[in-house]
Amino acid sequence: MAQNRLKLPRRRFLPLAGAALLDGCASPPRLPMEPPGASAVFIAKAASYSRELAATLETGVRACGLSVKGKSILLKPNLVEFDSSTTINTNVALLAAAIETFQKMGAAVVRVGEGPGHRRDTMFLAEEADYRKGLARFDHLFVDLNRDDIVPVHNFAGQPEFFFPKTVLAADLIVSMPKMKTHHWAGATLSMKNFFGLVPGAIYGWPKNVLHQIGIPKSILALNRVFRNTFAIVDGIVGMEGNGPIQGSPKKCGVIAMGRNLPAVDATCCRIMGIDPQKLEYLQLARELGHIDSSNIEQRGEPIGAVQTSFRLIEAFRNVRLA
Amino acid sequence: MDGGWGYLPARQSWLEPTCYALLALYQDPASVSAWERGWSLLRSWQLPDGGWRPAAPVSASSWASALCVTLHCVQESYDSSFERGLQWLIGSKGSEGGFFERAVNTVWKLPVEYDRRWKGWPWSPDAASWVEPTAHSLLALKKASRKAPAGAIARRIDEGERMLLDRRTNDGGWNHGNRRVYHVDLPSYPETTGIALTGLQGCTRDNLERSLDLARKYWMETSSPLAKAWLAIGLRNFGRHLPAPASPTPPDRDVMVTALEALASPNGGHQWLKIA
Repeated sequence: MAQNRLKLPRRRFLPLAGAALLDGCASPPRLPMEPPGASAVFIAKAASYSRELAATLETGVRACGLSVKGKSILLKPNLVEFDSSTTINTNVALLAAAIETFQKMGAAVVRVGEGPGHRRDTMFLAEEADYRKGLARFDHLFVDLNRDDIVPVHNFAGQPEFFFPKTVLAADLIVSMPKMKTHHWAGATLSMKNFFGLVPGAIYGWPKNVLHQIGIPKSILALNRVFRNTFAIVDGIVGMEGNGPIQGSPKKCGVIAMGRNLPAVDATCCRIMGIDPQKLEYLQLARELGHIDSSNIEQRGEPIGAVQTSFRLIEAFRNVRLA
Repeated sequence: MDGGWGYLPARQSWLEPTCYALLALYQDPASVSAWERGWSLLRSWQLPDGGWRPAAPVSASSWASALCVTLHCVQESYDSSFERGLQWLIGSKGSEGGFFERAVNTVWKLPVEYDRRWKGWPWSPDAASWVEPTAHSLLALKKASRKAPAGAIARRIDEGERMLLDRRTNDGGWNHGNRRVYHVDLPSYPETTGIALTGLQGCTRDNLERSLDLARKYWMETSSPLAKAWLAIGLRNFGRHLPAPASPTPPDRDVMVTALEALASPNGGHQWLKIA
């Protein structure tokens, strides 16, 4: 239990510590059942952020059976903070390749949206991360989700009313494009956790502390229950290991993972990173939404073994290492 | 057109940019009509609990209620609306640092290091304290203290200042509110450093010299217009001289940044964000 306590943000410590005391007296919680069938996850090798990325993405999108013709697509990168000494954000070359791919495949509209969790000046961050320079018609494409118009959603994580950006709710498809990173509270931050950036800071703040109050794993699950028309493209070309999601070290992994079922994509990424997905709380909860067990995930493209690279973990997560 | 301002032109009105726009246009003879329509909207957004909604569709009080209290002080509207807003602000408090959490922290040092005795203000009800809402609330209470009974206000100011000083990062500035996590010092951000200094005007616990020096360095270096504006507001209200920009900044497409730049200019309305 001490390990679990150490993982918790201070905002959630008290109620969960109480629950932990009760855990000692209760039987283990029953895990949700995974849905029937299997999910496809495509793995591609990508040594660098080269110009061939668009072709790789198109192969992956088609291998996963995704049709985007006529759809309005929102690409959700991971743009958190900028530090030139490390690699925190989804690389702009991958983002540009995704725009090119979806436009080529017939999407009606492709936009990019993000609501960073710490910094108020989203456009400054985008500038620093080279998004303005690297994305044609950036001002037309990019939406600051922290300050977008809002629409209510009912019964989000037990809250009678919760607000999300209009741009997000209007999209036919949300493409989660996280960086492959370790995370000092959740173990790993991948396509599902990336949806924290869909929550508007103008109401919930910088950071969006209400999500910590609800609990990080429960919030991840709640967000992914609301947003079901999704696809994931994970930037694992250079990821982050150690004290992620901001202060870790760059980790060259040379991989892109893609899929329509976000829990399956995240579970696959965990295995690539040398993390046991069965030991991450948010993925345990996510079994109701998708596939975590490797027997229910159909790996396409490269096998996991061909790209597996052990990511360094902080002490609090040493017990989630894949055996 | 409801009379308010959005973060961007022709978008939904929000409380935060409306407050900054009203401060920037205050006493501008050419903007009287726009000002009055904005003020009316702001007054209509006050909720029964005394706080203000952040936008029309939301029915819970917002952290930006602090800006409304400040605006009432600037406008010298010390009426029942001001009183109810002030009481809401005094009653709003971070949820962290309860007895059990503090006890556990003495046994196992928790990964986020801060002094759990001091509470500031949260972004949303029932959440923990963070730097920016605390700075805005401190400024509002300091301005309000000239016209309201001292006791409860003084106690919240005292605790809020302690909280802000405790959350100061190792470099002398402020980020969103975590100075050290997992034994690693976190860096400050320019914009939050400017905002925190605005809330710490009149603070006698610390001369803030190191923080002011860092703020000036940030002001000279940052390319973020938002950060530059907040740093200028903070520094000017501490009496620090800053050179005027060589050429006027073209209006930003961002309404809030434009309003803050107007407040930050040498002859601008930063005085409205000064405590005395």
